[in-house]
Amino acid sequence: MKQLTLESQYRKYPKAWPQFIIGAVVVCAIIIIWNITVEFEGFTQRGWSIIGVAMRGLFTPSWKVISDMSSSGLLHMLFETFAIGFLGTVFGTIIAIPFAFISSRNIAPRWVNLIFLVIITLIRAFPSIMYGIMFVKTVGPGAYAGVLTMTIGSVGMLSKLLVESVEDINPGIIEALDAAGCTGFQKVRYGIMPQLSSSIISNVLYRLDINVKNASVLGLVGAGGIGAQLIFAIQDRRWSDAGAMLWGLVILVLLIEYISTRIRNSLAGKS
Amino acid sequence: MFEDLIHIFFPRTYTLENGKTVREKFSIVPYLVIVFAVLVIFCAVFTGTNLKVLAERGGNFFDILHRMIPPNWNYWSTMQKAMLDTINMSLLGSVFGCAIALPVSFYLSSNFKLNKTYLVSHRFALSLLRTLPTLVLASFLRMVLGIGALAGTLAISVFSYTICVKMMYEYIETLDMGAYEALESTGASRLRCILGAVWPQVKGFFFSTFLYCFESNVKSAAILGYVGAGGIGLNISGQLTLRKYDNLGLVLIAMTLTIMILEAAARYARRKLVTG
Repeated sequence: MKQLTLESQYRKYPKAWPQFIIGAVVVCAIIIIWNITVEFEGFTQRGWSIIGVAMRGLFTPSWKVISDMSSSGLLHMLFETFAIGFLGTVFGTIIAIPFAFISSRNIAPRWVNLIFLVIITLIRAFPSIMYGIMFVKTVGPGAYAGVLTMTIGSVGMLSKLLVESVEDINPGIIEALDAAGCTGFQKVRYGIMPQLSSSIISNVLYRLDINVKNASVLGLVGAGGIGAQLIFAIQDRRWSDAGAMLWGLVILVLLIEYISTRIRNSLAGKS
Repeated sequence: MFEDLIHIFFPRTYTLENGKTVREKFSIVPYLVIVFAVLVIFCAVFTGTNLKVLAERGGNFFDILHRMIPPNWNYWSTMQKAMLDTINMSLLGSVFGCAIALPVSFYLSSNFKLNKTYLVSHRFALSLLRTLPTLVLASFLRMVLGIGALAGTLAISVFSYTICVKMMYEYIETLDMGAYEALESTGASRLRCILGAVWPQVKGFFFSTFLYCFESNVKSAAILGYVGAGGIGLNISGQLTLRKYDNLGLVLIAMTLTIMILEAAARYARRKLVTG
């Protein structure tokens, strides 16, 4: 038997120098990339004064915007943002569920799966700003284009996530229902839905969070929501208007995040 | 038939032979379904959602796609710098954001028993920041820092930071602290304890979070150019106003390919990281 000495054990200790070399290479690469991309020319002394003015404006939101009930008012735009995200999620779910079933290995033959998986990957790889632009050209500017954009985005993500949970369905339960003489509808209602509903709901709520947040971005390409007004306010330096919209957006997103986290936690606790 | 429908909302009461009354179990689901349906319809009216419009003019969608083909390959030399900038911005932003997020997330996880008020207030500030889309941050930073990739990079850094910190501290809180306590009992300093006992457990998750950030940042960085924060967005809006759809087609192909390659690379790297 080989004798264990302190020295022999110490030699087994993992060497640190490969990690140092990797770290050094990464740092060098980052510095090079930084030099290629970032220029400091735009930054002048005026930037600092802007920060002060902007902060003062952001924390004294303009009540004119908040109390305005017309179509350019805060509440109208916030609800529009919510509506775009919400409808996008609903329509996206309606389309994504059959998509997920068709692209699951245990439902359809392999070649059908592959076709649909490629479609899903293509949908996901397409940048969403492009969908925004194209839908604005298709149905005209406005919230409807935003809804369609959000729908497509949701289809891409939800069907990818749902495929995994559909492939995890336990076939034993369906066979048992078969043996008991259940009809097709009963098999879906009592065999498949209880297994899928919690993962569907939690994924959909997660997507709703993302969609409401992203709905505000789409405004820039003309697809409705609060985003365009907010960014124009920032660019025109109407800081207190921007502050009002910013706080409205923050409260809306936090509220939806809170509700969906509550529902998701209660679902996770149940199962 | 009508009676059955009513009883969906108002549960029946049965009187048994021995005089006992049994109420059907009350379910809130039918009410929720109605609220949900009303909300959907109201939102649909509010946003002007109209399937007929889509059916009539849905062809335009493919019409635009059709005009993008064939793409104008000569445009590549003009846009390659912007394309590279988009990727670089998201890479730099993700690296900075995640690098700062790593130590902070140890401070923010409750199993190290640090100052509670600091923990709660910092987490609250982070969740406020997280609600802001990268674009809004970028348009604000652009006013301060001027036009260019710096504003975009910073905005992406902030966004990656908030996401990465949240995912990391939630993960760290689920970890097994036995190894950490064992090292602590030998008298090692807190940094040593974290490096020796916690870092090996979170390493894989941290890198996969970084990859996730990078991937989603490339997608969102495309729009940052619209507010002058650098990247391909400027080219997109410019070519769109000029109605140069063939140039737009090339941008689209470049973006789509980049995202697909990144996604495949990230998936491969994540599998490697998980299996060790």
